[in-house]
Amino acid sequence: MNLKDSLDSLRGFWEEFSKVKTGLVGLAILIVFVLLGLFGQWLVPFPEATKHWLDITYWEDNPQAAPPVWTNWFSAKKGPPSLILTSPKVEKTSTDNGMVIQTSTFDFKDNYDLPPRDLIVRLGGNGPIPTKIAIFRPDGSGGEIWRDQLQLSPDQPTRVSLAHSAASGVIDFIRSANENLAFSMDPTLIKPVTLMFSQIDPDMVNSPKPMKGPYKIVVTQLVPSTDYKADIPTIGLSGYVAGILGTDKMKRDIFTGIILGIKWALIIGILTSVISVVVGVLLGIIAAYFGGAVDWVLTRLYELIYLLPVLPFLIVVSAIFKPSIWTLILLICLFFWTGSFKTVYSMALQIKEETFVEASKALGSGSWRIIVKHISPILLPYSFASMALSIPAIIVYEASVSLLGLGDSTIVSWGQILQAALTNGAVINNLWWWVIPPGLAIALMGMSFAFLGTALDKILHPKLKTR
Amino acid sequence: MYWKYVIRRAIYGLMMYIVMIAVYSTLFNSVADKTMRAQIDEQVAQESRTWKNMTSDQRDLRLTERKAEKIKQYHLDDPLVARIFYRSLRTLTFDFGNSTTIKASSGDRAVINIIGEALPRTIVLFSTEVLVVTLLGVAMGLYAGRKPNGLFDRTVSTLTMITNGLPSWWLSMLAIMAFAYSVPIFPSGGLHVNPAPTGFQGFLDYLWHLSLPLLTLSFLGVWGTAYLVRNIVLSNLQEDFVMAARARGVSERRVLFGHTLRTSMPAIMTMAILGLFSSIAGNIIVEGIFNWPGIGNLYFEAVQQNDVPILMSTLAIETLLTMAGFIILDVIYGLLDPRIKVGGAA
Repeated sequence: MNLKDSLDSLRGFWEEFSKVKTGLVGLAILIVFVLLGLFGQWLVPFPEATKHWLDITYWEDNPQAAPPVWTNWFSAKKGPPSLILTSPKVEKTSTDNGMVIQTSTFDFKDNYDLPPRDLIVRLGGNGPIPTKIAIFRPDGSGGEIWRDQLQLSPDQPTRVSLAHSAASGVIDFIRSANENLAFSMDPTLIKPVTLMFSQIDPDMVNSPKPMKGPYKIVVTQLVPSTDYKADIPTIGLSGYVAGILGTDKMKRDIFTGIILGIKWALIIGILTSVISVVVGVLLGIIAAYFGGAVDWVLTRLYELIYLLPVLPFLIVVSAIFKPSIWTLILLICLFFWTGSFKTVYSMALQIKEETFVEASKALGSGSWRIIVKHISPILLPYSFASMALSIPAIIVYEASVSLLGLGDSTIVSWGQILQAALTNGAVINNLWWWVIPPGLAIALMGMSFAFLGTALDKILHPKLKTR
Repeated sequence: MYWKYVIRRAIYGLMMYIVMIAVYSTLFNSVADKTMRAQIDEQVAQESRTWKNMTSDQRDLRLTERKAEKIKQYHLDDPLVARIFYRSLRTLTFDFGNSTTIKASSGDRAVINIIGEALPRTIVLFSTEVLVVTLLGVAMGLYAGRKPNGLFDRTVSTLTMITNGLPSWWLSMLAIMAFAYSVPIFPSGGLHVNPAPTGFQGFLDYLWHLSLPLLTLSFLGVWGTAYLVRNIVLSNLQEDFVMAARARGVSERRVLFGHTLRTSMPAIMTMAILGLFSSIAGNIIVEGIFNWPGIGNLYFEAVQQNDVPILMSTLAIETLLTMAGFIILDVIYGLLDPRIKVGGAA
């Protein structure tokens, strides 16, 4: 077959394929998936996530189990999204004895009904730096809420979480407005960040009312001498909502996880189905071509594997041997080659009697040459449909093994995300943004391959269209 | 002649089962040996607490003696092939030994009792599911087959494709979130409320706990079944006898229910039985999500607690079930459709 012929047959195939609407839908979804699988790594908000998925410190600035940003559109009480405040107004004043006072002022507006979950001040630099943090609120109240002598290191910025360390400071500025109220507060029980953004009111601990308007946070640092240095600080505002798909209990961005999972779902699905179909077709032809003992052994093997309960077997083998993802792929192949074996076998039985096979034999071709060069090319196209159709089940098997915590933990797969969701009580706590997206992704990818496979099947084996 | 065929199928299935158990025993040999030795150590240590009036030397000697005895009893020092042989023999005779941590509700640690407790619950859940799915699926398939490429037909085939790649356990998680927490009409899981009511109320409570897993599984299964029924019915509608019946003026209704459905019965029965066994094998994780204490939940627990004897024995039982399913299928198939070649190659 020369190039023009192949192009023609391809065009003819496309003409038929484009008539099947579901097939086109499947193809479109699949193309989106493939593009996201290839380039998604650079589109996600956390591009380093592949390496750091299990690394708690990488995610520490995110809020915990925060719903997606767009939930604000539907809820009566709007929560602030996560954001990082950078580039404050910086003032430096030198004192006579060589010390420098560095004041960084952050201005921001709070227009939300719910307070942020945390304010994390990040301080970089070098040396012992006395630091204090103050807040000034729209109603004019406020003041210093935290102070300490920090030992800054150049390797890693020091993080000050106001939700954990500003309780007594917050009570202090409330005291200046309402002494009795401040007296009744227990620093170990109040939520300092919530109070920081609420109106001063006798009931503010139990039912805080938000105070909207411009806020000012001032970080004052005293650099004792020129040997030491204080970088300009940044403030991470850990929001009530975060990201396109929210975050999980380990503060990971779920959208990033979903995008990274595409690559693995594609690799697992396509690799497994290609290997199993090629093996199945070859074994089917071999069994039909050689017949006799080879046929008997292969058919028995086929029956044996056909009768094995796949999922229980995969679960037990994974529980005992803890396979890597590549081993798991091979294990799944062990079951899926049977899918194309029987059809290929019966078709190969006919083809092997055709004249071109005999001619090839007469020309002195060996058996393997005939199998690989002459029979396989005829039968492989028929397996494309079963290749595509087997992929949804393959992806579900991998996800099922992962759900039980038996998957390869070095990769980010949708099954792993769902496993984390299940073991961390996402179902009980109704963290739907953690449960729905990964499963929907599995379903969508399965659907695209199923649509594609069914369309191919209709073209390759036309039947049962009418009554 | 028919009975000969049945017996031959049964023997063939049994042989396949023996081969599979041998494969399992080979595959899991080293980990099974390790678990066995750990169990022997534990047993002997427990035994030694009852020994009295002994010096520590005597006690140590006795301890090693007892261990050696047990190791001999379980053939743990035999060559590899013999170990595999004995282990297969024990599995085949349902002598599964004890679990490492999981207990039956009576506090028993015999694996056979634990499985015996879980298996009926699995069978109840999945056979009701298959019953519901088959009845509904046949009705829906017939309806879809009345107008091929009609709206309902296309809905069925699209939903078949969608549910095909849908993890059943994920849908279960959603179902629990929706119908046990957001709109609490069903319990989130388990077998009964605590304390368990008795009598008729107990039965109602059981049904109530069964309904959410049952509904979830049925929703997933029914589309594929309807699609298959539709295909079977459509291919039968192209047969000559249907044309003949129509030519005789038999009403379309009778053609569908009297002629076509009847000839489709063997295929539909096959599908139902196959469906039962593939559902048990494929949807076991659903039990874990719903806390339905059957075989699937047992897998969940055994994986979490790394209970190797339970894992291996459950796999053996599950294999036996699948095998039995296929034999029953062959037997029923031969009974329903006399055209099946009795005495043909197995």
